[in-house]
Amino acid sequence: YPLFQLGGPQLRIFRPNFFMLAVRPGVPQPEDTVQFRVSMEMTKVDIKNYLEKIYDVPVAAVRTRIQYGANNKRNHKNQRVKKPDYKVAYVQLGQGQTFQFPNLFPEKEQDTETRAFDDFKDKYMEREKQRQKGDLRRGGVPDWFGL
Amino acid sequence: MAAIAGTGTGAEPATPLARRWVKLSGHHLGKGQILHSPSGAWHCGRGGGVMAAAVGMAALCRRLTAALRLSGARPGPTAAGLPGLTLNPLHKNLVKVEPVHQLKFLHTSLSRRGLEEFFDDPKNWGEKTVKSGDAWNIKQLRAKSSEDLHKLWYVLLKEKNMLLTLEQESKRQLKPMPSPERLEKVEKSMKNIDLVVKEREIALRLLQTGHEKPVPGEWRHDFLGRTYWYTYKEWPIPWYLNKKHKKRRFYYLRHVNHFIRLRLEKFLRRKARKQNLERTRRKVLERKFPHLAAKSQSQQ
Repeated sequence: YPLFQLGGPQLRIFRPNFFMLAVRPGVPQPEDTVQFRVSMEMTKVDIKNYLEKIYDVPVAAVRTRIQYGANNKRNHKNQRVKKPDYKVAYVQLGQGQTFQFPNLFPEKEQDTETRAFDDFKDKYMEREKQRQKGDLRRGGVPDWFGL
Repeated sequence: MAAIAGTGTGAEPATPLARRWVKLSGHHLGKGQILHSPSGAWHCGRGGGVMAAAVGMAALCRRLTAALRLSGARPGPTAAGLPGLTLNPLHKNLVKVEPVHQLKFLHTSLSRRGLEEFFDDPKNWGEKTVKSGDAWNIKQLRAKSSEDLHKLWYVLLKEKNMLLTLEQESKRQLKPMPSPERLEKVEKSMKNIDLVVKEREIALRLLQTGHEKPVPGEWRHDFLGRTYWYTYKEWPIPWYLNKKHKKRRFYYLRHVNHFIRLRLEKFLRRKARKQNLERTRRKVLERKFPHLAAKSQSQQ
């Protein structure tokens, strides 16, 4: 981006490529607070303008923090694997609006096909378990023995 | 209106041409999914506005909903009462805009209309797969006007945000995300839009100033003897007052010539190896399928 010096023109970005995703808060938040994960380069002012201009959401206040992603997991080569860092924004909506994070995976009634498939799966698993246990007529001895 | 008021600050010489050029290509609007915008709403493909410069996107939303109200809402994606700007970004799936007067599809309450756009159509919640069309091709995008590309960019951005939200939520709930290929399609489309816009900007710049690149630069050497394109950057102080910059060396000494030669040899060896490999593969194919050999001979 061009250098900014006092008295210079406001930076305007056409077609911003910054993502912003809403997340379910891990800790219960007040009614008017929405939690987002935003791209690392965004500032509070940026987030406010983004929501107001692109999503038409009135924003009262924004607080941000950067979440450090841990670097202590190891892969099969014993190299450290880093979980990416991300910025979290807590946005308080204006005009007294409230927001509850919705349930995006509600239980839907299964159609006959999926039900039949599930039944088939259960029966198969039962048969496998029975085979593992061994025949009851021979006293639970596994099939390995005998004829 | 905000869109007109805020023309790009440093772009005064550019705007008249841009406006003219954009207006000429303005009439063939999308394949039905981008509604016919009320005339005069968007003069240039760009406008002013701060960081999220959707140039009064709120104004755009309002105008588009106005257009919707006038020309009738579309059935399908807007059915669940989602806000006016539900343009399906992946185009092949789309129904043509029919002037159906079904105002009940409009969501008129202002409560969480904006934030609902972070989530999919409520009908799709809990589905295993969600149908979507193909990504936008560069050729298809080149046929669109700059206004359309600008609007499409924001539609795709919102769609991407929605998909990322869905992905994160599915990880949280330990459930599979329905149709994750939509993300790749959206990213590809956005990249293609970027390419097309860059092409147009380069063409304009060449016509107006004769330069291809937005920022001037020059070829320079680094201390390892490599040659690269150095773009000029904006600094608050000149280079001879910048202690760290003065430590950088844009020249190389005589002893580096040996390594330049080694590098060149390595590059040539790699190139030769690749060419030989290609030739042997082609020979094997021609031996197995003699008609290919005949075709290549006839071509030569």
